[in-house]
Amino acid sequence: MRQLNNILEGFGSTVLLLFRSIGYLPTLPRQFGRFIEQCYLIGYTTLPIVAILSFFIGSVLALQAGYSMQNFGAKQFIGSLVGLSMARELGPVMVAILLTGRVGSAITAELASMKVYQEVDALQTMNIPPVRMLVMPRLVAAVVMVPVLAIIANLVGWFGGAIISKYTHFIAIDPPAYFSALRRFMEFKDILNGLIKAEVFGVGVILVCCNIGLNTRGGPREIGASVTRAVVTSLILILVLDYFVTKALM
Amino acid sequence: MNNFQQTARVGLFFILGLALTWVTFETLRGGKVFKDQGYNLIAGFTTLKELKDGDEVRMAGVKIGEVERTRLAGRRAEAVLRIDHRVRIKSDAAATIVMAGLIGTNYISIDLGTDAAPDLPDGAEIKTQATADLNSVMSQIGDLGKKLETAIGDLSGALSGGKDGKTGIIAKVDLLITENRENIGKATANLQEITAKVNKGEGTLGRLINDPKLHDELVTTLDEIKKGAGEAKNFIANAQKIVDQVKAGQGAIGALVFDQKAGEDVKASIANLRAVSDKIARGEGTLGKLLSDESLFRDAQSIMKKADRALDGLDDTGPITAVGVVYQGLF
Repeated sequence: MRQLNNILEGFGSTVLLLFRSIGYLPTLPRQFGRFIEQCYLIGYTTLPIVAILSFFIGSVLALQAGYSMQNFGAKQFIGSLVGLSMARELGPVMVAILLTGRVGSAITAELASMKVYQEVDALQTMNIPPVRMLVMPRLVAAVVMVPVLAIIANLVGWFGGAIISKYTHFIAIDPPAYFSALRRFMEFKDILNGLIKAEVFGVGVILVCCNIGLNTRGGPREIGASVTRAVVTSLILILVLDYFVTKALM
Repeated sequence: MNNFQQTARVGLFFILGLALTWVTFETLRGGKVFKDQGYNLIAGFTTLKELKDGDEVRMAGVKIGEVERTRLAGRRAEAVLRIDHRVRIKSDAAATIVMAGLIGTNYISIDLGTDAAPDLPDGAEIKTQATADLNSVMSQIGDLGKKLETAIGDLSGALSGGKDGKTGIIAKVDLLITENRENIGKATANLQEITAKVNKGEGTLGRLINDPKLHDELVTTLDEIKKGAGEAKNFIANAQKIVDQVKAGQGAIGALVFDQKAGEDVKASIANLRAVSDKIARGEGTLGKLLSDESLFRDAQSIMKKADRALDGLDDTGPITAVGVVYQGLF
Protein backbone atom coordinates (compact mmCIF):
# COMPACT_ATOMS: atom_id res chain seq x y z
CA MET A 1 0.00 0.00 0.00
CA ARG A 2 2.83 2.30 0.92
CA GLN A 3 4.58 1.45 -2.33
CA LEU A 4 1.45 2.27 -4.24
CA ASN A 5 1.13 5.53 -2.41
CA ASN A 6 4.73 6.35 -3.28
CA ILE A 7 4.09 5.59 -6.96
CA LEU A 8 0.95 7.74 -7.03
CA GLU A 9 2.72 10.50 -5.16
CA GLY A 10 5.60 10.41 -7.61
CA PHE A 11 3.24 10.41 -10.57
CA GLY A 12 1.20 13.31 -9.22
CA SER A 13 4.22 15.43 -8.35
CA THR A 14 5.70 14.81 -11.82
CA VAL A 15 2.49 15.98 -13.51
CA LEU A 16 2.40 19.04 -11.26
CA LEU A 17 6.01 19.74 -12.12
CA LEU A 18 5.11 19.66 -15.80
CA PHE A 19 2.31 22.17 -15.37
CA ARG A 20 4.43 24.45 -13.21
CA SER A 21 7.18 24.37 -15.80
CA ILE A 22 4.73 25.24 -18.55
CA GLY A 23 3.55 28.09 -16.38
CA TYR A 24 7.08 29.47 -16.23
CA LEU A 25 7.60 29.29 -20.00
CA PRO A 26 7.23 33.06 -20.47
CA THR A 27 10.40 33.53 -18.44
CA LEU A 28 12.44 31.54 -20.95
CA PRO A 29 13.94 34.54 -22.81
CA ARG A 30 15.40 35.81 -19.55
CA GLN A 31 17.02 32.42 -18.99
CA PHE A 32 18.27 31.96 -22.52
CA GLY A 33 21.82 31.35 -21.38
CA ARG A 34 20.72 28.59 -19.09
CA PHE A 35 18.56 27.12 -21.83
CA ILE A 36 21.50 27.05 -24.27
CA GLU A 37 23.67 25.41 -21.66
CA GLN A 38 21.10 22.66 -21.16
CA CYS A 39 20.71 22.28 -24.92
CA TYR A 40 24.45 21.81 -25.17
CA LEU A 41 24.42 19.18 -22.44
CA ILE A 42 21.35 17.33 -23.62
CA GLY A 43 21.95 17.57 -27.37
CA TYR A 44 25.51 18.30 -28.41
CA THR A 45 27.37 16.26 -25.80
CA THR A 46 25.00 13.29 -26.16
CA LEU A 47 25.39 13.16 -29.92
CA PRO A 48 28.56 11.00 -30.11
CA ILE A 49 27.21 8.23 -27.93
CA VAL A 50 23.85 8.34 -29.72
CA ALA A 51 25.60 8.10 -33.08
CA ILE A 52 27.82 5.20 -32.05
CA LEU A 53 24.99 3.27 -30.45
CA SER A 54 22.58 3.88 -33.34
CA PHE A 55 25.17 2.79 -35.90
CA PHE A 56 25.65 -0.53 -34.16
CA ILE A 57 21.95 -1.03 -33.51
CA GLY A 58 21.26 -0.51 -37.22
CA SER A 59 24.10 -2.88 -38.09
CA VAL A 60 22.91 -5.59 -35.74
CA LEU A 61 19.35 -5.24 -37.02
CA ALA A 62 20.55 -5.70 -40.60
CA LEU A 63 22.74 -8.62 -39.59
CA GLN A 64 20.01 -10.41 -37.68
CA ALA A 65 17.41 -9.70 -40.34
CA GLY A 66 19.75 -10.90 -43.09
CA TYR A 67 20.60 -14.05 -41.17
CA SER A 68 16.93 -14.83 -40.58
CA MET A 69 15.64 -13.80 -43.97
CA GLN A 70 18.24 -15.50 -46.15
CA ASN A 71 16.43 -18.79 -45.63
CA PHE A 72 13.25 -17.63 -47.29
CA GLY A 73 14.55 -15.18 -49.87
CA ALA A 74 13.36 -11.94 -48.29
CA LYS A 75 16.78 -10.30 -48.03
CA GLN A 76 15.75 -7.43 -50.24
CA PHE A 77 13.42 -6.24 -47.50
CA ILE A 78 16.20 -5.69 -44.98
CA GLY A 79 16.20 -1.98 -45.80
CA SER A 80 12.52 -1.73 -44.97
CA LEU A 81 12.92 -3.69 -41.76
CA VAL A 82 15.89 -1.67 -40.50
CA GLY A 83 14.32 1.61 -41.62
CA LEU A 84 10.99 1.04 -39.96
CA SER A 85 12.44 -0.49 -36.81
CA MET A 86 14.86 2.39 -36.34
CA ALA A 87 12.38 5.12 -37.13
CA ARG A 88 9.38 3.83 -35.25
CA GLU A 89 10.92 2.08 -32.29
CA LEU A 90 14.62 1.71 -31.71
CA GLY A 91 15.72 5.25 -32.56
CA PRO A 92 13.42 7.01 -30.06
CA VAL A 93 13.79 4.34 -27.37
CA MET A 94 17.58 4.27 -27.60
CA VAL A 95 17.77 8.06 -27.50
CA ALA A 96 15.54 8.11 -24.43
CA ILE A 97 17.60 5.42 -22.69
CA LEU A 98 20.84 7.25 -23.45
CA LEU A 99 19.26 10.47 -22.28
CA THR A 100 18.35 8.75 -19.04
CA GLY A 101 21.81 7.33 -18.54
CA ARG A 102 23.83 10.32 -19.55
CA VAL A 103 21.68 13.38 -18.85
CA GLY A 104 18.88 12.21 -16.54
CA SER A 105 21.27 10.76 -13.98
CA ALA A 106 23.37 13.94 -14.04
CA ILE A 107 20.28 16.11 -13.57
CA THR A 108 19.08 14.01 -10.63
CA ALA A 109 22.53 14.05 -9.05
CA GLU A 110 22.81 17.82 -9.47
CA LEU A 111 19.34 18.64 -8.17
CA ALA A 112 19.59 16.07 -5.34
CA SER A 113 22.88 17.54 -4.18
CA MET A 114 21.41 21.06 -4.42
CA LYS A 115 18.50 19.84 -2.35
CA VAL A 116 20.68 18.01 0.17
CA TYR A 117 23.01 20.99 0.51
CA GLN A 118 20.01 23.32 0.87
CA GLU A 119 20.72 25.33 -2.26
CA VAL A 120 17.13 24.77 -3.34
CA ASP A 121 15.95 26.07 0.01
CA ALA A 122 18.18 29.10 -0.47
CA LEU A 123 16.57 29.78 -3.86
CA GLN A 124 13.14 29.58 -2.30
CA THR A 125 14.26 31.90 0.47
CA MET A 126 15.33 34.39 -2.23
CA ASN A 127 11.87 33.99 -3.79
CA ILE A 128 13.27 32.29 -6.84
CA PRO A 129 11.09 29.32 -7.73
CA PRO A 130 13.42 26.33 -8.19
CA VAL A 131 11.19 24.94 -10.95
CA ARG A 132 11.56 28.11 -13.00
CA MET A 133 15.33 28.11 -12.77
CA LEU A 134 16.21 24.41 -12.56
CA VAL A 135 13.45 22.48 -14.36
CA MET A 136 11.89 24.65 -17.06
CA PRO A 137 15.09 25.35 -19.08
CA ARG A 138 16.00 21.66 -18.99
CA LEU A 139 12.52 20.66 -20.12
CA VAL A 140 12.50 23.09 -23.03
CA ALA A 141 16.03 22.07 -23.97
CA ALA A 142 14.90 18.44 -24.02
CA VAL A 143 11.88 19.33 -26.15
CA VAL A 144 14.12 21.03 -28.67
CA MET A 145 17.06 18.62 -28.68
CA VAL A 146 15.58 15.14 -28.35
CA PRO A 147 13.93 15.10 -31.80
CA VAL A 148 17.24 16.21 -33.31
CA LEU A 149 19.00 13.35 -31.56
CA ALA A 150 16.28 10.97 -32.71
CA ILE A 151 16.51 11.93 -36.38
CA ILE A 152 20.30 11.64 -36.26
CA ALA A 153 19.93 8.24 -34.57
CA ASN A 154 17.59 7.11 -37.34
CA LEU A 155 19.87 8.19 -40.16
CA VAL A 156 23.02 6.79 -38.57
CA GLY A 157 21.21 3.51 -37.87
CA TRP A 158 20.07 3.31 -41.51
CA PHE A 159 23.59 3.88 -42.75
CA GLY A 160 24.92 1.28 -40.32
CA GLY A 161 22.45 -1.22 -41.72
CA ALA A 162 23.36 -0.28 -45.29
CA ILE A 163 27.09 -0.78 -44.68
CA ILE A 164 26.58 -4.13 -42.99
CA SER A 165 24.18 -5.23 -45.75
CA LYS A 166 26.80 -4.49 -48.37
CA TYR A 167 29.83 -6.02 -46.70
CA THR A 168 28.30 -9.12 -45.10
CA HIS A 169 28.81 -12.02 -47.47
CA PHE A 170 25.50 -13.75 -46.84
CA ILE A 171 23.50 -10.54 -47.28
CA ALA A 172 25.41 -8.64 -50.01
CA ILE A 173 22.79 -6.00 -50.83
CA ASP A 174 24.03 -2.79 -52.40
CA PRO A 175 23.10 0.51 -50.72
CA PRO A 176 20.85 1.65 -53.61
CA ALA A 177 18.76 -1.52 -53.30
CA TYR A 178 18.78 -1.20 -49.51
CA PHE A 179 17.58 2.40 -49.56
CA SER A 180 15.10 1.67 -52.32
CA ALA A 181 13.49 -1.01 -50.13
CA LEU A 182 13.63 1.37 -47.20
CA ARG A 183 11.83 4.08 -49.12
CA ARG A 184 9.32 1.69 -50.62
CA PHE A 185 7.76 0.79 -47.29
CA MET A 186 8.35 3.96 -45.35
CA GLU A 187 6.49 7.19 -45.20
CA PHE A 188 7.33 10.38 -43.44
CA LYS A 189 4.61 9.69 -40.91
CA ASP A 190 6.76 6.79 -39.64
CA ILE A 191 9.55 9.26 -38.92
CA LEU A 192 7.11 11.69 -37.39
CA ASN A 193 5.74 8.90 -35.25
CA GLY A 194 9.24 8.20 -33.94
CA LEU A 195 9.93 11.88 -33.32
CA ILE A 196 6.74 12.28 -31.32
CA LYS A 197 7.66 9.24 -29.27
CA ALA A 198 11.15 10.61 -28.66
CA GLU A 199 9.66 13.90 -27.58
CA VAL A 200 7.31 12.22 -25.12
CA PHE A 201 10.12 10.07 -23.73
CA GLY A 202 12.48 13.04 -23.46
CA VAL A 203 9.96 15.17 -21.55
CA GLY A 204 9.07 12.20 -19.33
CA VAL A 205 12.68 11.38 -18.51
CA ILE A 206 13.61 14.99 -17.70
CA LEU A 207 10.51 15.46 -15.58
CA VAL A 208 11.05 12.22 -13.64
CA CYS A 209 14.74 12.94 -13.06
CA CYS A 210 14.07 16.54 -11.99
CA ASN A 211 11.21 15.46 -9.74
CA ILE A 212 13.22 12.76 -7.99
CA GLY A 213 16.19 15.08 -7.65
CA LEU A 214 14.10 17.88 -6.14
CA ASN A 215 12.33 15.48 -3.78
CA THR A 216 15.51 14.04 -2.32
CA ARG A 217 15.45 13.96 1.47
CA GLY A 218 18.26 13.25 3.91
CA GLY A 219 22.01 13.37 3.58
CA PRO A 220 24.57 12.88 0.76
CA ARG A 221 23.94 9.15 0.67
CA GLU A 222 20.48 9.87 -0.62
CA ILE A 223 21.95 11.47 -3.71
CA GLY A 224 23.13 8.11 -5.03
CA ALA A 225 19.85 6.47 -4.11
CA SER A 226 17.94 9.21 -5.90
CA VAL A 227 20.04 8.79 -9.02
CA THR A 228 19.44 5.04 -9.02
CA ARG A 229 15.74 5.55 -8.47
CA ALA A 230 15.55 8.18 -11.17
CA VAL A 231 17.27 5.97 -13.74
CA VAL A 232 15.19 2.89 -12.92
CA THR A 233 11.94 4.87 -12.91
CA SER A 234 12.85 6.56 -16.18
CA LEU A 235 13.61 3.24 -17.89
CA ILE A 236 10.33 1.75 -16.73
CA LEU A 237 8.49 4.89 -17.75
CA ILE A 238 10.06 4.81 -21.22
CA LEU A 239 8.92 1.26 -21.92
CA VAL A 240 5.44 1.77 -20.43
CA LEU A 241 4.97 5.01 -22.32
CA ASP A 242 6.32 3.33 -25.43
CA TYR A 243 3.44 0.92 -25.49
CA PHE A 244 0.77 3.55 -24.95
CA VAL A 245 2.24 6.10 -27.34
CA THR A 246 2.69 3.46 -30.04
CA LYS A 247 -0.88 2.36 -29.56
CA ALA A 248 -2.12 5.94 -29.64
CA LEU A 249 -0.20 6.79 -32.81
CA MET A 250 -1.34 3.75 -34.80
CA MET B 1 34.24 27.11 -22.91
CA ASN B 2 32.82 30.57 -23.43
CA ASN B 3 29.15 31.19 -23.80
CA PHE B 4 29.33 32.20 -27.47
CA GLN B 5 30.98 28.98 -28.55
CA GLN B 6 28.43 26.94 -26.64
CA THR B 7 25.55 28.80 -28.25
CA ALA B 8 27.07 28.39 -31.71
CA ARG B 9 27.44 24.66 -31.24
CA VAL B 10 23.88 24.28 -30.01
CA GLY B 11 22.66 26.39 -32.96
CA LEU B 12 24.64 24.31 -35.40
CA PHE B 13 23.34 21.13 -33.86
CA PHE B 14 19.76 22.34 -34.06
CA ILE B 15 20.15 23.40 -37.69
CA LEU B 16 21.68 20.01 -38.46
CA GLY B 17 18.63 18.35 -36.93
CA LEU B 18 16.25 20.49 -38.95
CA ALA B 19 18.19 19.83 -42.14
CA LEU B 20 18.20 16.09 -41.60
CA THR B 21 14.48 16.12 -40.86
CA TRP B 22 13.83 18.02 -44.07
CA VAL B 23 16.02 15.69 -46.12
CA THR B 24 14.25 12.65 -44.69
CA PHE B 25 10.88 14.23 -45.31
CA GLU B 26 11.66 15.03 -48.93
CA THR B 27 13.19 11.63 -49.58
CA LEU B 28 10.35 9.64 -48.10
CA ARG B 29 7.67 11.81 -49.64
CA GLY B 30 8.81 10.52 -53.00
CA GLY B 31 10.43 13.68 -54.21
CA LYS B 32 14.10 14.44 -54.35
CA VAL B 33 15.93 16.96 -52.30
CA PHE B 34 16.59 19.00 -55.37
CA LYS B 35 13.60 18.70 -57.67
CA ASP B 36 14.53 17.58 -61.14
CA GLN B 37 12.97 19.17 -64.17
CA GLY B 38 10.47 16.49 -64.94
CA TYR B 39 6.95 16.67 -66.28
CA ASN B 40 3.66 15.26 -65.08
CA LEU B 41 1.31 12.77 -66.69
CA ILE B 42 -2.09 11.67 -65.45
CA ALA B 43 -2.96 7.97 -65.39
CA GLY B 44 -6.57 7.11 -64.62
CA PHE B 45 -7.55 3.65 -63.35
CA THR B 46 -10.67 2.07 -61.92
CA THR B 47 -8.55 1.05 -58.95
CA LEU B 48 -5.00 1.90 -57.97
CA LYS B 49 -4.70 -1.29 -55.91
CA GLU B 50 -1.67 -0.98 -53.62
CA LEU B 51 -0.11 1.93 -55.51
CA LYS B 52 1.02 4.76 -53.30
CA ASP B 53 2.89 8.03 -53.47
CA GLY B 54 6.55 7.58 -54.26
CA ASP B 55 6.17 4.26 -56.06
CA GLU B 56 8.27 3.85 -59.18
CA VAL B 57 7.29 4.44 -62.79
CA ARG B 58 9.21 2.18 -65.17
CA MET B 59 9.47 1.97 -68.91
CA ALA B 60 10.64 -1.42 -70.16
CA GLY B 61 11.87 -2.11 -66.64
CA VAL B 62 13.94 1.06 -66.36
CA LYS B 63 12.95 3.59 -63.72
CA ILE B 64 11.86 6.82 -65.40
CA GLY B 65 9.92 8.53 -62.65
CA GLU B 66 7.70 8.23 -59.63
CA VAL B 67 4.09 8.46 -58.58
CA GLU B 68 3.88 12.01 -57.31
CA ARG B 69 0.45 11.60 -55.75
CA THR B 70 -2.73 9.59 -55.97
CA ARG B 71 -6.22 11.01 -55.90
CA LEU B 72 -9.85 10.26 -56.55
CA ALA B 73 -11.30 11.99 -59.59
CA GLY B 74 -15.02 11.37 -59.89
CA ARG B 75 -15.68 7.72 -60.54
CA ARG B 76 -12.06 6.75 -61.02
CA ALA B 77 -8.71 6.96 -59.30
CA GLU B 78 -5.86 8.98 -60.76
CA ALA B 79 -2.14 8.70 -60.29
CA VAL B 80 -0.08 11.77 -61.09
CA LEU B 81 3.20 10.56 -62.52
CA ARG B 82 6.39 12.61 -62.38
CA ILE B 83 8.47 11.59 -65.41
CA ASP B 84 12.14 12.37 -65.96
CA HIS B 85 12.48 15.23 -68.44
CA ARG B 86 14.96 13.20 -70.53
CA VAL B 87 12.37 10.53 -71.25
CA ARG B 88 9.66 11.19 -73.80
CA ILE B 89 6.54 9.05 -73.70
CA LYS B 90 4.61 8.36 -76.88
CA SER B 91 0.90 9.06 -77.03
CA ASP B 92 0.07 5.43 -77.84
CA ALA B 93 2.06 4.06 -74.88
CA ALA B 94 -0.12 2.45 -72.21
CA ALA B 95 0.39 2.41 -68.45
CA THR B 96 -0.42 -0.58 -66.26
CA ILE B 97 -0.13 -1.19 -62.54
CA VAL B 98 2.28 -4.07 -62.06
CA MET B 99 2.83 -6.04 -58.92
CA ALA B 100 6.52 -6.29 -58.04
CA GLY B 101 6.16 -8.67 -55.13
CA LEU B 102 3.65 -10.82 -53.34
CA ILE B 103 3.52 -8.53 -50.36
CA GLY B 104 1.88 -5.63 -52.08
CA THR B 105 4.65 -3.71 -53.82
CA ASN B 106 3.40 -2.09 -57.00
CA TYR B 107 4.79 0.12 -59.69
CA ILE B 108 3.50 1.65 -62.89
CA SER B 109 4.83 0.13 -66.06
CA ILE B 110 4.66 2.12 -69.30
CA ASP B 111 5.31 0.43 -72.63
CA LEU B 112 7.47 1.96 -75.34
CA GLY B 113 4.71 2.86 -77.81
CA THR B 114 5.51 3.40 -81.47
CA ASP B 115 8.04 5.76 -82.98
CA ALA B 116 5.50 7.39 -85.26
CA ALA B 117 3.23 8.54 -82.41
CA PRO B 118 3.72 12.07 -81.04
CA ASP B 119 5.18 12.70 -77.56
CA LEU B 120 2.85 13.32 -74.63
CA PRO B 121 3.07 16.90 -73.31
CA ASP B 122 3.20 17.96 -69.67
CA GLY B 123 -0.10 17.33 -67.88
CA ALA B 124 -1.44 15.00 -70.58
CA GLU B 125 -3.37 11.86 -69.81
CA ILE B 126 -1.70 8.58 -70.66
CA LYS B 127 -3.66 5.54 -71.86
CA THR B 128 -4.08 2.86 -69.23
CA GLN B 129 -4.83 -0.84 -69.19
CA ALA B 130 -6.39 -2.72 -66.32
CA THR B 131 -4.60 -5.83 -65.13
CA ALA B 132 -5.82 -8.70 -63.02
CA ASP B 133 -4.71 -8.39 -59.45
CA LEU B 134 -3.72 -11.20 -57.13
CA ASN B 135 -7.06 -11.16 -55.35
CA SER B 136 -9.06 -11.80 -58.53
CA VAL B 137 -6.62 -14.53 -59.56
CA MET B 138 -6.93 -16.14 -56.15
CA SER B 139 -10.71 -15.87 -56.40
CA GLN B 140 -10.64 -17.65 -59.77
CA ILE B 141 -8.38 -20.34 -58.33
CA GLY B 142 -10.90 -20.73 -55.50
CA ASP B 143 -13.73 -21.20 -58.02
CA LEU B 144 -11.62 -23.71 -59.91
CA GLY B 145 -10.97 -25.58 -56.67
CA LYS B 146 -14.71 -25.75 -55.99
CA LYS B 147 -15.39 -27.11 -59.48
CA LEU B 148 -12.61 -29.63 -59.09
CA GLU B 149 -14.03 -30.67 -55.76
CA THR B 150 -17.48 -31.12 -57.31
CA ALA B 151 -16.03 -33.15 -60.20
CA ILE B 152 -14.08 -35.39 -57.85
CA GLY B 153 -17.20 -35.78 -55.70
CA ASP B 154 -19.21 -36.81 -58.77
CA LEU B 155 -16.53 -39.28 -59.81
CA SER B 156 -16.34 -40.65 -56.32
CA GLY B 157 -20.13 -40.95 -56.26
CA ALA B 158 -20.14 -42.76 -59.60
CA LEU B 159 -17.50 -45.16 -58.36
CA SER B 160 -18.86 -45.82 -54.92
CA GLY B 161 -22.56 -45.29 -55.61
CA GLY B 162 -25.22 -43.84 -53.35
CA LYS B 163 -25.61 -44.30 -49.65
CA ASP B 164 -26.68 -47.93 -50.09
CA GLY B 165 -23.48 -48.53 -52.05
CA LYS B 166 -25.28 -50.71 -54.62
CA THR B 167 -25.37 -48.40 -57.63
CA GLY B 168 -21.69 -47.54 -57.92
CA ILE B 169 -19.36 -48.87 -60.58
CA ILE B 170 -17.18 -50.60 -58.00
CA ALA B 171 -20.24 -52.28 -56.48
CA LYS B 172 -21.40 -53.41 -59.92
CA VAL B 173 -18.00 -54.82 -60.80
CA ASP B 174 -17.91 -56.55 -57.45
CA LEU B 175 -21.34 -58.05 -58.07
CA LEU B 176 -20.32 -59.17 -61.56
CA ILE B 177 -17.25 -60.91 -60.21
CA THR B 178 -19.19 -62.51 -57.37
CA GLU B 179 -21.91 -63.83 -59.66
CA ASN B 180 -19.51 -65.17 -62.26
CA ARG B 181 -16.87 -66.41 -59.92
CA GLU B 182 -17.28 -70.03 -61.11
CA ASN B 183 -17.16 -69.10 -64.83
CA ILE B 184 -14.19 -66.86 -64.31
CA GLY B 185 -12.47 -69.67 -62.43
CA LYS B 186 -13.15 -72.10 -65.28
CA ALA B 187 -12.04 -69.62 -67.90
CA THR B 188 -8.86 -69.00 -65.98
CA ALA B 189 -8.24 -72.75 -65.65
CA ASN B 190 -8.80 -73.23 -69.39
CA LEU B 191 -6.49 -70.39 -70.16
CA GLN B 192 -3.89 -71.91 -67.89
CA GLU B 193 -4.27 -75.29 -69.60
CA ILE B 194 -3.93 -73.73 -73.04
CA THR B 195 -0.87 -71.77 -72.08
CA ALA B 196 0.64 -74.92 -70.53
CA LYS B 197 0.12 -76.79 -73.79
CA VAL B 198 1.54 -73.97 -75.82
CA ASN B 199 4.50 -73.90 -73.50
CA LYS B 200 5.07 -77.62 -73.94
CA GLY B 201 4.91 -77.32 -77.73
CA GLU B 202 1.63 -79.13 -78.15
CA GLY B 203 -0.90 -78.19 -80.83
CA THR B 204 -0.40 -75.86 -83.79
CA LEU B 205 0.20 -72.75 -81.76
CA GLY B 206 2.56 -74.60 -79.43
CA ARG B 207 4.59 -76.00 -82.28
CA LEU B 208 4.58 -72.69 -84.03
CA ILE B 209 6.06 -71.11 -80.96
CA ASN B 210 8.40 -73.92 -79.93
CA ASP B 211 9.41 -75.65 -83.23
CA PRO B 212 12.18 -73.73 -85.01
CA LYS B 213 11.63 -75.65 -88.31
CA LEU B 214 8.00 -74.60 -88.47
CA HIS B 215 9.09 -71.14 -87.70
CA ASP B 216 11.59 -71.15 -90.55
CA GLU B 217 8.99 -72.47 -92.95
CA LEU B 218 6.57 -69.85 -91.85
CA VAL B 219 9.20 -67.21 -92.37
CA THR B 220 9.99 -68.58 -95.86
CA THR B 221 6.29 -68.67 -96.74
CA LEU B 222 5.90 -65.17 -95.55
CA ASP B 223 8.91 -64.14 -97.67
CA GLU B 224 7.36 -65.73 -100.73
CA ILE B 225 4.05 -64.10 -100.03
CA LYS B 226 5.91 -60.85 -99.68
CA LYS B 227 7.71 -61.42 -102.96
CA GLY B 228 4.43 -62.36 -104.71
CA ALA B 229 2.84 -59.29 -103.27
CA GLY B 230 5.74 -57.23 -104.66
CA GLU B 231 5.30 -58.70 -108.10
CA ALA B 232 1.55 -58.18 -107.93
CA LYS B 233 2.27 -54.64 -106.98
CA ASN B 234 4.51 -54.19 -110.01
CA PHE B 235 1.89 -55.80 -112.22
CA ILE B 236 -0.80 -53.54 -110.87
CA ALA B 237 1.52 -50.58 -111.32
CA ASN B 238 2.11 -51.52 -114.97
CA ALA B 239 -1.60 -52.10 -115.50
CA GLN B 240 -2.28 -48.79 -113.93
CA LYS B 241 0.26 -47.21 -116.24
CA ILE B 242 -1.42 -48.75 -119.26
CA VAL B 243 -4.83 -47.67 -118.03
CA ASP B 244 -3.42 -44.18 -117.52
CA GLN B 245 -2.06 -44.17 -121.07
CA VAL B 246 -5.37 -45.45 -122.38
CA LYS B 247 -7.13 -42.76 -120.40
CA ALA B 248 -4.73 -40.21 -121.82
CA GLY B 249 -5.76 -41.38 -125.29
CA GLN B 250 -2.31 -42.72 -126.05
CA GLY B 251 -1.84 -45.89 -128.18
CA ALA B 252 -4.30 -47.74 -130.33
CA ILE B 253 -6.72 -48.73 -127.57
CA GLY B 254 -6.58 -45.29 -126.16
CA ALA B 255 -7.38 -43.78 -129.49
CA LEU B 256 -10.09 -46.35 -130.01
CA VAL B 257 -11.70 -45.70 -126.65
CA PHE B 258 -11.28 -41.98 -126.28
CA ASP B 259 -10.91 -40.62 -129.87
CA GLN B 260 -14.40 -39.83 -131.20
CA LYS B 261 -13.32 -39.81 -134.83
CA ALA B 262 -11.51 -43.13 -134.58
CA GLY B 263 -14.62 -44.68 -133.00
CA GLU B 264 -16.79 -43.40 -135.79
CA ASP B 265 -14.29 -44.71 -138.36
CA VAL B 266 -14.33 -48.14 -136.74
CA LYS B 267 -18.14 -48.07 -136.67
CA ALA B 268 -18.23 -47.11 -140.37
CA SER B 269 -15.65 -49.82 -141.21
CA ILE B 270 -17.73 -52.46 -139.41
CA ALA B 271 -20.84 -51.25 -141.27
CA ASN B 272 -18.94 -51.50 -144.59
CA LEU B 273 -17.63 -54.94 -143.67
CA ARG B 274 -21.15 -56.06 -142.89
CA ALA B 275 -22.40 -54.72 -146.24
CA VAL B 276 -19.58 -56.52 -148.06
CA SER B 277 -20.20 -59.78 -146.23
CA ASP B 278 -23.93 -59.48 -146.99
CA LYS B 279 -23.12 -59.07 -150.69
CA ILE B 280 -20.76 -61.98 -150.58
CA ALA B 281 -23.44 -64.07 -148.90
CA ARG B 282 -25.93 -63.11 -151.58
CA GLY B 283 -23.39 -64.06 -154.28
CA GLU B 284 -23.08 -60.55 -155.53
CA GLY B 285 -19.79 -59.23 -156.89
CA THR B 286 -16.66 -61.11 -157.87
CA LEU B 287 -15.95 -62.58 -154.46
CA GLY B 288 -19.59 -63.59 -154.00
CA LYS B 289 -19.64 -65.29 -157.32
CA LEU B 290 -16.34 -66.91 -156.60
CA LEU B 291 -17.82 -68.38 -153.49
CA SER B 292 -21.32 -69.26 -154.69
CA ASP B 293 -20.98 -69.97 -158.50
CA GLU B 294 -19.70 -73.53 -159.12
CA SER B 295 -19.13 -72.92 -162.85
CA LEU B 296 -16.51 -70.43 -161.96
CA PHE B 297 -14.79 -73.11 -159.89
CA ARG B 298 -14.95 -75.52 -162.79
CA ASP B 299 -13.58 -72.91 -165.18
CA ALA B 300 -10.78 -72.22 -162.83
CA GLN B 301 -10.07 -75.93 -162.51
CA SER B 302 -9.88 -76.33 -166.32
CA ILE B 303 -7.61 -73.29 -166.52
CA MET B 304 -5.37 -74.78 -163.93
CA LYS B 305 -5.23 -78.02 -165.89
CA LYS B 306 -4.42 -76.17 -169.06
CA ALA B 307 -1.78 -74.22 -167.28
CA ASP B 308 -0.28 -77.41 -166.02
CA ARG B 309 -0.10 -78.80 -169.50
CA ALA B 310 1.36 -75.62 -170.82
CA LEU B 311 4.07 -75.73 -168.24
CA ASP B 312 4.88 -79.28 -169.25
CA GLY B 313 5.20 -78.12 -172.89
CA LEU B 314 7.28 -75.24 -171.84
CA ASP B 315 9.79 -77.61 -170.34
CA ASP B 316 10.09 -79.25 -173.75
CA THR B 317 10.22 -76.21 -176.08
CA GLY B 318 12.43 -74.08 -173.98
CA PRO B 319 12.14 -70.55 -172.89
CA ILE B 320 11.73 -69.07 -176.37
CA THR B 321 8.38 -70.58 -176.96
CA ALA B 322 7.30 -70.33 -173.39
CA VAL B 323 5.29 -67.15 -174.00
CA GLY B 324 3.61 -68.66 -176.98
CA VAL B 325 2.75 -71.84 -175.14
CA VAL B 326 1.27 -69.88 -172.28
CA TYR B 327 -0.69 -67.83 -174.71
CA GLN B 328 -2.03 -70.83 -176.47
CA GLY B 329 -2.75 -72.69 -173.36
CA LEU B 330 -4.72 -69.83 -171.94
CA PHE B 331 -6.61 -68.64 -175.04
